[in-house]
Amino acid sequence: MNAFAARESPIHMFFRLLRLILVLALVVSAPLSFEAVAQGVGQAPAGLVADQQKIIQGLTTKTDNFEKQIQQDGVDDGSLVDIRLQLEELSRQSLNSALAFRTRLGEINSRLEQLGPPPAAGQPAEPDIVSAEREGLTSEKAEINAVIAQAQTLSIRISGLIDQIGNMRSALFRNLLTKRYVLSDALSPQVFSDARDEFDNFYKAVSSWLSFAIKFKFQAILAATFVALGLALVLLVGGRRLFGRVFEADSTNEDPSYLSRLSVAFWSTLLPTLAVAAFLGSTIFFFNYYNVLRGDIGLFLNALATVIGVVFCVNRLTNAALEPRLPNWRLIPVETGPARWLVRLTTAMAVVISFNTFLSVVNDKMGSPLSLTIARSFVATIIVGVILILMAMLRPFKARDGSWRPWPAWLRYTSLGLGLFTIIAALLGYIGLALFVSLQVVVTGTALITAYIGFLSAQAIGEESAFANTSVGRWLSANSSYEDTALDQLGLVVSIAINVMIVLVFLPLILLMWGFQPGDIEAWAYKLATGINIGSVTISVTGILSGIVVFVIGYFLTRWFQGWLDGSVMARGKVDTGVRNSIRLAVGYAGVALAALVGISAAGIDLSSLALVAGALSLGIGFGLQNVVSNFVSGLILLAERPFKVGDWIVAGDVSGTVKKISVRATEIETFQRQSVILPNSNLINNAVGNWTHRNKLGRIDIKVGVAYGSDVKQVHAVLLDIARSHPLVLKNPEPFVLFSNFGAAALEFEIRVFLADVMNGNVVQNDVRFAVLERFDDQHIEIPSTPRAVVEARTHVAWPTDDDKIEADFAEQAEAKAQAEAEAKRQAKSGRKTRKPDPD
Amino acid sequence: MWKSLVAAVALLAVSGSAHAASAVNKDAQTRTLVVTEGGSKTELALAGGETVEFCQNGCFVTLPNGDLEALTGSETIEISGGVARIK
Repeated sequence: MNAFAARESPIHMFFRLLRLILVLALVVSAPLSFEAVAQGVGQAPAGLVADQQKIIQGLTTKTDNFEKQIQQDGVDDGSLVDIRLQLEELSRQSLNSALAFRTRLGEINSRLEQLGPPPAAGQPAEPDIVSAEREGLTSEKAEINAVIAQAQTLSIRISGLIDQIGNMRSALFRNLLTKRYVLSDALSPQVFSDARDEFDNFYKAVSSWLSFAIKFKFQAILAATFVALGLALVLLVGGRRLFGRVFEADSTNEDPSYLSRLSVAFWSTLLPTLAVAAFLGSTIFFFNYYNVLRGDIGLFLNALATVIGVVFCVNRLTNAALEPRLPNWRLIPVETGPARWLVRLTTAMAVVISFNTFLSVVNDKMGSPLSLTIARSFVATIIVGVILILMAMLRPFKARDGSWRPWPAWLRYTSLGLGLFTIIAALLGYIGLALFVSLQVVVTGTALITAYIGFLSAQAIGEESAFANTSVGRWLSANSSYEDTALDQLGLVVSIAINVMIVLVFLPLILLMWGFQPGDIEAWAYKLATGINIGSVTISVTGILSGIVVFVIGYFLTRWFQGWLDGSVMARGKVDTGVRNSIRLAVGYAGVALAALVGISAAGIDLSSLALVAGALSLGIGFGLQNVVSNFVSGLILLAERPFKVGDWIVAGDVSGTVKKISVRATEIETFQRQSVILPNSNLINNAVGNWTHRNKLGRIDIKVGVAYGSDVKQVHAVLLDIARSHPLVLKNPEPFVLFSNFGAAALEFEIRVFLADVMNGNVVQNDVRFAVLERFDDQHIEIPSTPRAVVEARTHVAWPTDDDKIEADFAEQAEAKAQAEAEAKRQAKSGRKTRKPDPD
Repeated sequence: MWKSLVAAVALLAVSGSAHAASAVNKDAQTRTLVVTEGGSKTELALAGGETVEFCQNGCFVTLPNGDLEALTGSETIEISGGVARIK
């Protein structure tokens, strides 16, 4: 019956799960510590052989003990797994102690090499000191080899034991499932008297403990209970305060959203369960603390607490999911009556299974006869089977015509099949199998339903704009600067995270319930974390994760450094903006590249294997990515050479505009029409680029003016020069200059050349100068000739006639005439239809 | 975005051959290592110039000169002139 006990006690499973989580956390940091240990051990030169020999002897003794334990009768599954884990640890330790010799062996070998081989016969003898040293070294080496050989033998032996444990465990499990008990023995009237005896014993134990506790420890009990109650109350009240809004189902809400239904279900299950668990846990803790518990009472109390906790949790969960009182808040859309029945049946099942578990602990401790255990398990499994069948027979849905509809076929038949299977197995005497199945149904079923609800909520959160409507989303949008789209994406991330979490929590849980031992899962987690081998390739989750983490850290460090360099150092050093930009970009690229390299090597990826890939790809890169690479290199050259910087006015080919951004492949230029032109960097490197504002913004603008032949050119010159000089934006030095440039075909041509401090103001100045020229020429009667190319008659508007009355009269007349004409036409049409005779056929 | 991320992770995972000891034979002759790993002894014959990966989770190796060494699974054994060196 030991095996029963091992599989039946959920509290053990809980603690194992806790340990599993701890181990998983440790595993992440394991590779580092492993190497640290190896290095630490490697530096113990004196007495090394003796030390390690002692260690290996210790390990061997431990292994002997484990071997004895394995060969004992009635060893159960859990302890086998424990032993296996410890054996694996021993194997690692023996390897480590053998590793400790490596440096010493290396030293010995190199020294021996220096000494050379012993002289052959006939050669002159070597000095005694040399031969003595060689002998000493050789014998030390032999000793070391002997110790390592011991370690090797030990590790072989441990491997054998681990294999043996695997075989034993599968045999145990087979035995549990296939062992048949004779029911007629177990179910005889003898059982009742056994049960009465056992109950008497149990009653005696409990009552004696109670009287002891009340007599001597009454205050301690009171204190412990009150402290525990206080803790639970704080949890419950605090939880209600925090999550009050989402905790209670609001009966006035006609149509709650799926998400709010889910969150109500979740919190109204979690909080009370946590409160109850806290109460029970702290009660037991304080009882222990005050030494109230005696003998087996602690175990009984533990089991009782687990039973109460499980039953409460199952009841809360079904109540939350089915909400018999509030149809609108139901997660599964069954009718009210069946919902009530479902809650009752599930709770009954949980009570039966948990009570059976509790009794198994009592049986185990009281040393009760096998028949009693069998009878108890028999009754429990039969009840669970019947409940399963009842659930399957339930008709939870209502069709439109009012008739009751059963569950979907697959669910109904699965439930029916499981129930029948349990009952038949129990009737045939396969109690172990029946109990295993019924336990799985309850526990796995609960876990699966919870996980399913979790998946549903993740899906609901991941839907568009669902996250913004949750309380967290509302809080975020009120207290942070997140946009709606950012919140939406956050919702997606949260939903993915929930999914991952569910898998991480429930997969081990379900595996545990299926009889996999925590040790197995630990071993798998360890393997997964340190690397799975596929062929010669190792996939290591922790490696990849640590690589990614290192890269992210490197990336943010780079960004921070970039910001610091740009904002604090270079800004204060009055560095030119172009240089600042170049340095910032270069630092950014270098930092990201460095972070990527470090991340890749932190992921444990051999860079040489990447080099292989790069070599294979380089041909493809040479052809396919030629342009990209050339632009990339051009970008680097632009950053180094800086023919232009951000904000410059450049002219490259047909494009003229302000440089907005220089990035690694292309440069963004904004034309004066506000069109963004993305120019590949290679264009800017290979072709001529004009920069109006390279060193300074000084620039010259030319304005052409023509005057008629016969004008006084001296006067014209003076006027133009005066205009140029008097403009405030025109530089005094270099001086404005008026060029008499040409005797044109129709005019004497002049050019005003002025220099501006900022060539960007060119248009304004040109405008001003031209207006001024026209004005002054008008004043001074200087003509600007024009050659008419075509005669255009200026079109003038026809003036609006002023005699309104006449128009009105005309319009009225016209309208009347029109109306008359229409009426006439209608009449004619009607009469025409009447007079016309029907066609003969 | 996601696709490229997944692809990158897969590439990293596939190209990551991190934890395995490797042995390189730089001699022309075949050298033999005796590897004890997971409870069984196997002879690992290395032809001239061959590189072999073995021993993922720690093992014991008997080198050509008869020395017994323990490996954690991250070392490289280089054999040249009949002498093995662990790096």
